[in-house]
Amino acid sequence: MRSMLSYMRNKLMSVAREDENTLSVYGVLDDDLYGLWMDVRVGLAELTIISVEAGWNRWTTPECRLAIEPLQEAVGMRIEAGLRQKVQMTISRKACRHFANLLLECCHAAKEAAEGIKSRDQETVRAARAASRDGNEALLRAGDQAESVGERKRQEDPISRTASGGTMIDLHVHTSKGSSCSSADVDALIEEAKRIGLDGIALTDHNHVWQPEALEELRHRHGFLILGGNEVTTDQGDILVFGLDKDIRGIIRLEKLKEEAGQAGAIMIAAHPFRGFLVFDTAQLGLTLEKASGRRLFKWVDAIEVMNSKVTKEENDFAARVAEELGMPGTGGSDAHDVKEVGLYATFFPGAIHNEKELVEALRYGEGVPVAFRKNRGPLL
Amino acid sequence: MPRVTCFSRNRCTSVEQPDDESIRSICRLQDTLMEAVVEIVVKLPDLEITGIKGEISRFGQMPLSEPTSVLEKAIGVRIGPGMQKIFEGLLGVETEFKQLTFMLEECCHGVILSFTKGTVQQFPEDEKDAIRFLADDVKKHIRLYNRCAAFAPGSRIVEGIEPPR
Repeated sequence: MRSMLSYMRNKLMSVAREDENTLSVYGVLDDDLYGLWMDVRVGLAELTIISVEAGWNRWTTPECRLAIEPLQEAVGMRIEAGLRQKVQMTISRKACRHFANLLLECCHAAKEAAEGIKSRDQETVRAARAASRDGNEALLRAGDQAESVGERKRQEDPISRTASGGTMIDLHVHTSKGSSCSSADVDALIEEAKRIGLDGIALTDHNHVWQPEALEELRHRHGFLILGGNEVTTDQGDILVFGLDKDIRGIIRLEKLKEEAGQAGAIMIAAHPFRGFLVFDTAQLGLTLEKASGRRLFKWVDAIEVMNSKVTKEENDFAARVAEELGMPGTGGSDAHDVKEVGLYATFFPGAIHNEKELVEALRYGEGVPVAFRKNRGPLL
Repeated sequence: MPRVTCFSRNRCTSVEQPDDESIRSICRLQDTLMEAVVEIVVKLPDLEITGIKGEISRFGQMPLSEPTSVLEKAIGVRIGPGMQKIFEGLLGVETEFKQLTFMLEECCHGVILSFTKGTVQQFPEDEKDAIRFLADDVKKHIRLYNRCAAFAPGSRIVEGIEPPR
């Protein structure tokens, strides 16, 4: 017996040539939840969005109407490499992700149409594609020239602000230098961490390894414990890694990362393992503690991040219950992407931590205790 | 003067739950240049992709590899935040499979929206009650704050709610 559909979405995009220089794209998105339409005019010469008109037929919240005005930010965008990211950063966040989805569809359709027109209207479209191709190549060149990172030494010159009485470290921090998604200047971040009373921070930029010389320079200049780490994206989600010198680019299989970490004696922590999962009711998903604990991910990591400021309290609590169920150590880290977020959560170590080697050892023996360091202590701290 | 279209595209994504343990999501594409389908099977409760297949039945320039063998690299990935980056990393960004990767994402969004549908059905009919209900939801899931225009400052839903720190 065939089961009934639980959801359906239909999208229709059609492109017509308004005049010699302009494409008119009409798009409709209609699913079980939303009904929306969009009329996008695109200049053929440079594949640039000239105008956007849009409207709702059906919506979910009484305030969805507010999404119409910000759609004007799409005007002027060019249909070229990087458009998707641009649309996600503006239209999806400021307007609505369903309008963003439809806008991208309209743009893709316009691009396909323009390619088709090329064969009939060589002169006009050749100029547009040349401009677009130049942009793509410039982006690719920039990628090729990205910083190449060599072998990394461990921190041998210890700096610890805590002679005794433990060490409080924010184990999960992103800087604008290493993570494109972060706005936090590394110097400002360190000064803020010092100001609020942390003993150290770990720079865990996305798939970015800090050079040991750069870490050492930061430690000496600020007189503060700065540890190198990495947040690696795997097929099973994000993993915080400490003690791995290798610069890992792109997506890696979790098993492969474990192999690399094992050879280097590094430690792996499952970062925000339930991020986004509990927006739905756990009952809706049938997500029980037992089923969550059986997740493959947890077989490969050494610890679980149970305090992270980018997830909900419920998601943190659930991660903590899973860690407890599995008898695994839990850690805390702010996941700061902005200076004011550093130290929201941290990990407290009863002993002194002077370098990455000691951090790895402490984590391996489950000595860290996750702490809501700044979370509940008011905006000034 | 009649304006005949120079390009048309239809894309349909449908989701069904064949049993208590799994969800199937299918994305079908038909446009002036191409016809393709991508199907995934997702295991509950982790929303882990356990099965995947793709087929291109019409395309001006046929792809170099067989679609399913490329798409299968996404098996084991869990549907959720960050999946787009993971798919791009695992499947690559070869031109001939860009469309299939997008369709794979559409399948995944369909799965998420099938759950959202259940949540939306709980919204109260009365507008004020609905705003109160949604405001409570934002307080509970603060990540929703500023996620879109309806949850951004200026919206009645987030009135009086402190932005996330």
